[in-house]
Amino acid sequence: MSYTPRSIISRILQGVLVVVLTYVLVWSVLFLLPGNPVQSRIDNPQNPIPEDQAEFILAYYGLDRPWYEQFTVAVGRLFQGDLGYSLGNGHRVTDLIAQGLGETAALAVLALLLTAVFAFIVAFTAVFAPWRSLRTFIRNLPVISLSTPNFLVGLILLQIFAYNLGWFSSIRDEGLKSLLLPAITLATGACAPVAQVLIQGLDRASGEPFVNVLRSSGYAPQSIVFKHVAKNGSIPAVTLLGLTIGELLTGAVIVETVFNRTGLGFVTEQAVRSQDGPVVLGVVMLVAVIYTAVNLLTDLTYPLLDPRTKEVAGTKKTGQGVSETDDPRAKEHEAEHGDAVSAEKGSTR
Amino acid sequence: MARAPFLFPARDKTARAALAGLLPAALLLTSCAAGAAAGGDGEVQEGGELVYLDAELSSNTQLQSSGTWQDSAYITNITDRLIYKNPETGELEPYLAEEFDVSDDGLTYTFTIVEGVTHSDGTPVDVENVKRNLEWQHDGDPDQGIPANNWFPSIESIETDDSAQTVIVQLEEPYAPFLDVLSFWRTSIVADATIEAPIEEQQQLAGIIGSGPFYVESETYGEEIILAKREGYDWAPPSSPHQGEALLDTITILPVTEDSVRLGSLRSGEADLIRYLQPSEEQGLIDAGIDIVSEQGSGNANVWDVRQSAPFIDDVDVRRALQSGIDREQIIEDLYTDSWRPAKSVVTEDTFGFEDKSDSLVYDPERSNELLDGAGFEEFDSEGYRIDENGERLSLLTYIDVFDATAGPLFQLIQLQLAEIGVELRIEETDYSSYSEVIQDPEIATRRNGWPEADPWVRQTVNYTLDEANALFLEEDDSAAQELDALYHQQLVQTDPAERQETLADIQEILVDEAFLLPILDDSQVFGVQPHVEDLAFTAEARPFFYSTWIDH
Repeated sequence: MSYTPRSIISRILQGVLVVVLTYVLVWSVLFLLPGNPVQSRIDNPQNPIPEDQAEFILAYYGLDRPWYEQFTVAVGRLFQGDLGYSLGNGHRVTDLIAQGLGETAALAVLALLLTAVFAFIVAFTAVFAPWRSLRTFIRNLPVISLSTPNFLVGLILLQIFAYNLGWFSSIRDEGLKSLLLPAITLATGACAPVAQVLIQGLDRASGEPFVNVLRSSGYAPQSIVFKHVAKNGSIPAVTLLGLTIGELLTGAVIVETVFNRTGLGFVTEQAVRSQDGPVVLGVVMLVAVIYTAVNLLTDLTYPLLDPRTKEVAGTKKTGQGVSETDDPRAKEHEAEHGDAVSAEKGSTR
Repeated sequence: MARAPFLFPARDKTARAALAGLLPAALLLTSCAAGAAAGGDGEVQEGGELVYLDAELSSNTQLQSSGTWQDSAYITNITDRLIYKNPETGELEPYLAEEFDVSDDGLTYTFTIVEGVTHSDGTPVDVENVKRNLEWQHDGDPDQGIPANNWFPSIESIETDDSAQTVIVQLEEPYAPFLDVLSFWRTSIVADATIEAPIEEQQQLAGIIGSGPFYVESETYGEEIILAKREGYDWAPPSSPHQGEALLDTITILPVTEDSVRLGSLRSGEADLIRYLQPSEEQGLIDAGIDIVSEQGSGNANVWDVRQSAPFIDDVDVRRALQSGIDREQIIEDLYTDSWRPAKSVVTEDTFGFEDKSDSLVYDPERSNELLDGAGFEEFDSEGYRIDENGERLSLLTYIDVFDATAGPLFQLIQLQLAEIGVELRIEETDYSSYSEVIQDPEIATRRNGWPEADPWVRQTVNYTLDEANALFLEEDDSAAQELDALYHQQLVQTDPAERQETLADIQEILVDEAFLLPILDDSQVFGVQPHVEDLAFTAEARPFFYSTWIDH
C-alpha cells in the first residue's frame, strides 16, 4: 500500500461521498417511515388535537409540503450550519449534539484508554504468562466478556460501588468521577474483540521464524516481546481499536441509560424513540463523519507501524521495505514476516 | 363526582355548603392518599432540597399541545390557575380569581382577579394578562404552530374592567365544564413573555413563566431541572392549609428512566421521592422503610375502547360477552396492589356524574358463554377458540398501550381470561413513535384509553363523538352513535347540574351496558417516598404539588 497526495485526496473524496450518500439515505428513510413527534403530539391520547388545528401545526413544521421541498429546505439549512430544532422538545439539534458529544467524548476517551489497557494486559498475559493454566483461563476471558451484557456489568458496578459502598452517585453528575464506572463498563465489553485479535496477532508473530533468529542472536526475551513481536502482532488490533472509537462514541446508549448520563447515546435513544427526524439525522451524520474520518486516519496510520507502506521518494518498497529495527541481523527475517502482516491486514479490513 | 357544580359563585356560601353535603364518601377515601406521607410529629421545617426522580424526562411543556404526565406535574408547581379544584372536596374554589360568578343563563362568566400577584419575571398578573391568556388558550397561535385549547368553549368576547379588577367572558353558548377546565393545569396562567415566545422556547420548562410557588432556576436537557422557591409568594388558594412561601428551598428533578436505578437510588437514600413503581416492587420498598403513596386521579377510568370497525364486535352480544368475561378483581389481585381498584364505570368514583355500574361489570363467564353461543359462535376449533358458521375464529386484535407502563401484563391477563370464554385476543406491540399511526388500523378491536382529567366528559366528547375523534369507529347512521352524540353535546350545555347528571347517567348506560367501553380499573400514580418527606400533596388530577411539602431534618 502506498499513499501519494493524489491517492490521499481520492480517499478523502471517497469519504465525502460516503457522508453525502448517508445523508440522502437517512433522510429518505426518515421521510418514508410513518410517525414523527409532531404527529405523536397531535394524536396523543392525553390531548388529541383536532384536524383543523393539526393543519397549522404541520404547516409550521413544513411537514405538509412535498418531499423535494422538505429536502431542499433541509439541505439549504445544512449548508448554513443549521441542523434545525428537535421536533419533540424544541431544543436546537446543534445544542443537543454538542451537549451529548461533550459528555460522550470524555467518556469515550477514558473508555478507549481503558479498552487498550485491558486488551493489552489480557492479550499479553494470555500469550506470554509463564503458567499454562493462567494462559488458558485468560484466553477465555474475552468470550465471557463478550457474552455478558453491558447493562449487567453496569448494574453490578452500581450495586457495589454506588448503592452499597456509596463511593459514587448513581444519579448525579460528579464530573470526572462520574466517568469511571461507565468507562469501565464500556471498556469491559469493548476490550474483548480487541484482546482476541491481539492474542491472535501475538500468537502468530511469536511463532514467526524471525523470533527464533532474534532469540538465537541473543536478544533479551523482553526486548523480543515488546519491541518486535508486539509491534508486528498488534497492527490488526490497532485497526480494531480505531473502529472501537466510533463504537464507543455511538454505542453507549445502554451504558448511558444505566448510569443516567445524557451523552450522545442518550440523545440518540430519545430521538429514535420518538422518531425525531432532525435529531436522528444530525446524530447519524455526526457518526458517519466520525467513522469515515477515523477509517481514513487509521489507514493513514499504517505507515507508522509498517514502514514498508511508506513511500520513499516515489519508490514502492512493499515487501522489502525499511525495517523498524536498525539491526541488520534481523532485517531479512523481518521483511519476510512483513508479507504476512500485509496479507493479514488486507483480510482484517 | 361530587364536586361542586359549576354555576355557583365561590362566595355563595350557602350553595356551596349545600353542595358539600352531596359529596359521596368515596371522594374522601380517594383524595387523601397524601396523608400516607404526611402527618409527621415534628414542627414544620423550612428549607432544604427535595430530590425527585421522575420516570420520564420533560419533553414538551407548551401548554395547549403538551400531554405528558411529567410535564403537567412540573407546570402545576410553577404556575397558578384562575380556579382551584380542592382535591379533598372536589369543590371549585377561588385562586387567582378571588371571586367568580356565572350568570343565570350560563353565558357570562365574571372573574375578579386577586391584586398584587406577579409572575416570576416580575410582570403583573392583572386583568389584561388574564384576558390575553384566555384569548391565547381559545385561539392558539397558528403562526407559531400552537393549537387552540380544544377543551375551551366558543367565546364571543372577553372584556376587562381595570377598576373592578374583573375579566368578563361572554360565551356563545353555555358550557358546563368551563370552570373545571379553568382549574386544569393546561389552563395555567402564564406571563406575556411566554405567550410571545416561539414554540421551541415554550416547549422547554424554563420557557414557562408563571406565578406559582416555584420557578425554574435551571434546566439541563435530560439531566436535571431545578425548581426554586418563589420569594414573596403569597397567593395560594384561600382553602390551602399552608399559606405564604413554599417550604422547600429547591426541588431537584432528575429524570431516571431505568427502573432499577430509580429504585436503587431511593433505597440508598440518594433520592427523596420517585415516581412510578411496578406493582411488584411495592412490598420490597415498604420492607426497606420507604412509604408508598398512591394517588388516584379523578377523571376517566382505565378503559378499553371497543372499535366498531373491527370484525365480530359490531354484535352487541359479543361485546357484552367481553364485558362479563373480564375478571377485574383477579386483575387487581394478581397484577396490582391495594393502590389500585377495579373500575365501577367509565369514570372514577369521585367524578361528577359517576354512576355505579358495578352490576354490569360482574365477572360472569357463564353469561359470556351463553351470549357467544347465542351470537353464532357455538363451535370451537382445535385450539379451543370459538368459530362462527363459516369456521372463522372469534379473534380480536389489540396493541399494547405505550403510555401505560403496566399495560403488558394487564393485556396478557385479559388475553388469558378471554381465552377461557373461547375468544382469542391477539396482542401486538409497537414502539412509542409508531403507536399513534399503527392504532389507526380499523382492524384493531380494542384500545386502552382513559386518563385523569378535570372534566372527563369533555374528553369523552372529544374522543367519542362522530364529528371529533370518533374513537369507537361508529358509523354515522348507527342509532347508538347518534344517541351518544346527542347526549354528549347536550351535557356540555346543561347548566342545571341535576339535569346534566341525568344525561351523564344515560351516557354511562350506553357505554357500559352496550359494552362500547370495557372499564378495567381506576388508575393510580404510585410514588415511593422517604419517611422524612412530609405533607406531599396532590392536585385533583393526581399531580404532585410540592407547595406545602417539607423535609423533616
